[in-house]
Amino acid sequence: MTFLSPMTIALAAGLTVPPLIALYFLKLKRVVRPVPSTLLWRRAIEDLRVNAPFQRLRSSLLLWLQLAVLVLAALALGQPMLETAQKLEDTVILLIDQSASMGVTEPDGQTRLEKAKELAVRQIDGMSDGSRAMVIAFGDRATVQASFDTDKAALKRKIASIEQTQAPTRLGEAVSLAEAYTQISLMGAETGGDDRPPGATAAPATVFLFTDGRIEDVTRVSLQAFDASRIRVTRLGERSDNVGIVAMDARRNPERPELLEVAATIENFSGQPRTIDAALYVAGRNVDIQSVTLAAAPHSAETSAGDRRPAVAAEERPDSAEPLESAATAQPVAVAAFAPMEYEGGGVVEVMLRVDDALSADDRAWAIVDEPRHVRVLLVSKHPWLLRSALSAMPLTLLTVTPEVYESMPEDRLREGERSAYDLVMFDRHSTSRLPPGNYFFWGSVPRLAGVSAGDAIRSEVIVNWDETHPILRHTAVETLSVFEWQRLRLPPEATAIIEGESSPVLAYLPGGGSQFLISAFALAVEDDEGRLRFNTDWTANVDFVVFLYNTVQYLTSNVGTRSRRSVTPGEAVTLPVPPRTEAVTVTRPDGSEDRAAAAEAGLFHYARTQRVGAYRVTPAVPGAEAFAVNLFNRTESNIRPTDAVTLGGERIEAKAESLALNRPAWRYFLLAGLGFLLLEWIVYNRRVFV
Amino acid sequence: MVQTRTDRSGPLLSPDFLTKLDQLELVSRKIFAGKLRGERISKRRGESVEFADYRNYVVGDDLRFLDWNIFARLEKLFIKLFLQEEDLHVSVLLDVSKSMDWGQPHKGLYARRVAAAIAYIGLVNFDRVSLYTYANGLAGELAGVRGRRLMFKVIEFLSGAEYSGTSNLAATGKQFALRHPQPGIVLVISDFFEKGGYEEGLRYLLGRNYDLYVVQVLSPEEMEPSLVGDLKLTDVEDEDTAEVTVTRALLNRYKINLRAYCERLKDYCTRRGVSYLFTGTEVPFDQIVLSYFRQRGLVK
Repeated sequence: MTFLSPMTIALAAGLTVPPLIALYFLKLKRVVRPVPSTLLWRRAIEDLRVNAPFQRLRSSLLLWLQLAVLVLAALALGQPMLETAQKLEDTVILLIDQSASMGVTEPDGQTRLEKAKELAVRQIDGMSDGSRAMVIAFGDRATVQASFDTDKAALKRKIASIEQTQAPTRLGEAVSLAEAYTQISLMGAETGGDDRPPGATAAPATVFLFTDGRIEDVTRVSLQAFDASRIRVTRLGERSDNVGIVAMDARRNPERPELLEVAATIENFSGQPRTIDAALYVAGRNVDIQSVTLAAAPHSAETSAGDRRPAVAAEERPDSAEPLESAATAQPVAVAAFAPMEYEGGGVVEVMLRVDDALSADDRAWAIVDEPRHVRVLLVSKHPWLLRSALSAMPLTLLTVTPEVYESMPEDRLREGERSAYDLVMFDRHSTSRLPPGNYFFWGSVPRLAGVSAGDAIRSEVIVNWDETHPILRHTAVETLSVFEWQRLRLPPEATAIIEGESSPVLAYLPGGGSQFLISAFALAVEDDEGRLRFNTDWTANVDFVVFLYNTVQYLTSNVGTRSRRSVTPGEAVTLPVPPRTEAVTVTRPDGSEDRAAAAEAGLFHYARTQRVGAYRVTPAVPGAEAFAVNLFNRTESNIRPTDAVTLGGERIEAKAESLALNRPAWRYFLLAGLGFLLLEWIVYNRRVFV
Repeated sequence: MVQTRTDRSGPLLSPDFLTKLDQLELVSRKIFAGKLRGERISKRRGESVEFADYRNYVVGDDLRFLDWNIFARLEKLFIKLFLQEEDLHVSVLLDVSKSMDWGQPHKGLYARRVAAAIAYIGLVNFDRVSLYTYANGLAGELAGVRGRRLMFKVIEFLSGAEYSGTSNLAATGKQFALRHPQPGIVLVISDFFEKGGYEEGLRYLLGRNYDLYVVQVLSPEEMEPSLVGDLKLTDVEDEDTAEVTVTRALLNRYKINLRAYCERLKDYCTRRGVSYLFTGTEVPFDQIVLSYFRQRGLVK
């Protein structure tokens, strides 16, 4: 039993007990009643001796009872605490996990977050007067709910306002914040800059971490200001029965874009084997159901948090030594591959697990698919046959014109709205300035842009360097490329050289003005002095050339520069293109609520309120960016089994169960006892007075 | 307490009751000599018709009382002695201190009725009746009335008595004893709540060898107080206050004290040959007069 405010006891007792005793010294204010004679009364009351102005204090049962009531009330005011298994901390930092896995409803009907908040409030209640506490909620990012404060009521309000998110758990930011605030507070204490009494030593803060232990970045958290021995981890939750979608992809068949292929990776995190149905919804209609059999999660999977196993196919599981047949059916991870279906529309594709488990955020996954679209390529060449034969092997719509035709084409044929009517325009030895925003590939020529020009021909140099990690050069062997001559290029600084010669780039990438330019300094074939066409490189005879062209078309037409990512994890920001001159964008969230936000410059829109999983719709939107999906896709978060220990800064900290001995306030018992004494006092008084 | 002061006045005696009283006469255990010849035999030889004794004639004796028959037979002169018939002095000392102005039935009224009844009996029997009221000392006096026709004076005197002051029996007894040397019946009617003690006053009265009767009158409120709570009790006589918290224990203590007080008074009286009579005002006063006084031998 400890008292949080011993001063309050002294104050309350000091203020009430002496007056009570003084009242017993003092005479009562009595009702005046005349009697014929006080002779006999006087004799009768002689024993009681109540007729002196101040009587000698006699042992009175009533006095003792009233003193007991007062003392108990004073003790109750002193905030007595039971089970003080832990020290009454002076400076406390509460880190409360608000990630997706904290939304699991435990068997007692409370979610883990609710339980964490309850325990945190009890922790606040258990603080002694003058103790300071700070509250930080963390999911994918950390929020300081309350900086150091001694006002318990305000702290409790802040704790109550912590909301459940569906974000992954990252502790690093929270720890950094706590450390920063602690440093500031310590400096403040040294200089007397805060409200603490002068001379008070700044005790190191004790950190209370309320989590289920599934922390993604636990291995990257470093402790600088905190000693691991001052970190108390409270483990929350018991349930582990969860099956979740850890990855999903919806894409169109490259050969037959009208075919939609959807696959989802489903993992069983529970200790029981499960057979579940995964339903596929396209544009709100259930089109397919796949039954998936999942083995129980092996106990060896119960490694420390932060073990981020990649969502891999079943064959890659470490325990695949079993026969292939059973391994295929008895793994905790399985891929639900839905039958390819013909779907010409665009929109939201959803995979939903028909399962009743602890965590619902990972039971659904969304993907955004575009309408099927053939890449439209315009080839501007006098001698198109070489490129045409290579491009015709690809699933694209190819239109070939001569440079003269291109220059004479009406503007409305070249433009579609603000952009080029073609996904890619390829110029073979033709420089032009008719370049509406779009994607361009110049062979042996340069776009007529400011800062871009072609100089003299280079013949006696070799290719010295190339960026083999660039997507365009994927699966191509540049070292086998030999080029007879190329032009000296003069490019703006933002241009990137992909293949470099000794003194000038051979292949360069130049983004800008909503366009992308790929500039090849060499042409595939050149006309000699006699006007005969001669190969300038042997590359065209190599299979690498076709691969290179395929990469180029893919890279330039995927609009990586402007196209947003279509699926993000909760809490991650999204950047979307919006129609030009759009001022405000309305985002319809999965729960139906709408957010209206101003569009940023350059036709882009940033949105960060992605705490909840689901499909978010954007209006107005450019085609293909009408929606984006927020998916959990986080194995750490889906694995809801609480961990027994958290390793922070290289030190293993045991996670105590939620029944951790907290300071239980005992003032109720004191007050109850006081009431009992009060009742007794009343009974005694009445028995004495009424005759 | 207002309610206990109500009904303090009323007819002292009813005609029916007076008729009953007509039959009674006061009896003194001691036969006392009076100034006037009355209707009762005195121990003193006198001129009544009742023969008492003979004695030898001495010169100067009234010749009318010579027994001539004896002289004829014996030729000696004897004087016939007769019993003297004398009047009886009946004095009533009535307490009119403020404490008597109390109770339901009213103590003072009750006491005055008893006094009136005694006075009437005396008047009817041609006794010399004196009525005194007292508080700090003797307050009012109606001395030496005789004969039934003066009853109106008695009624007038008793009705006009005012309640005031504190009772002081010692001073009263001293004054009465000085002023009233003749023996006779003395009836003291009071509640005997004497802060200075009743003993000294009674001793003065006993010293004159009166045939003393003590009547203690108490109201029911005094015998069974109905007080509750924390009170400041004020004495109506001397404004003395006593602060009490009325509890069961205190009430019990009060009753025990009251009983002991009355017992002590009775004991004091009995030891000194004084007739003590205790009555509560709830007892019908005619019953007191017609039966209690008769039992005590005051009336017959």
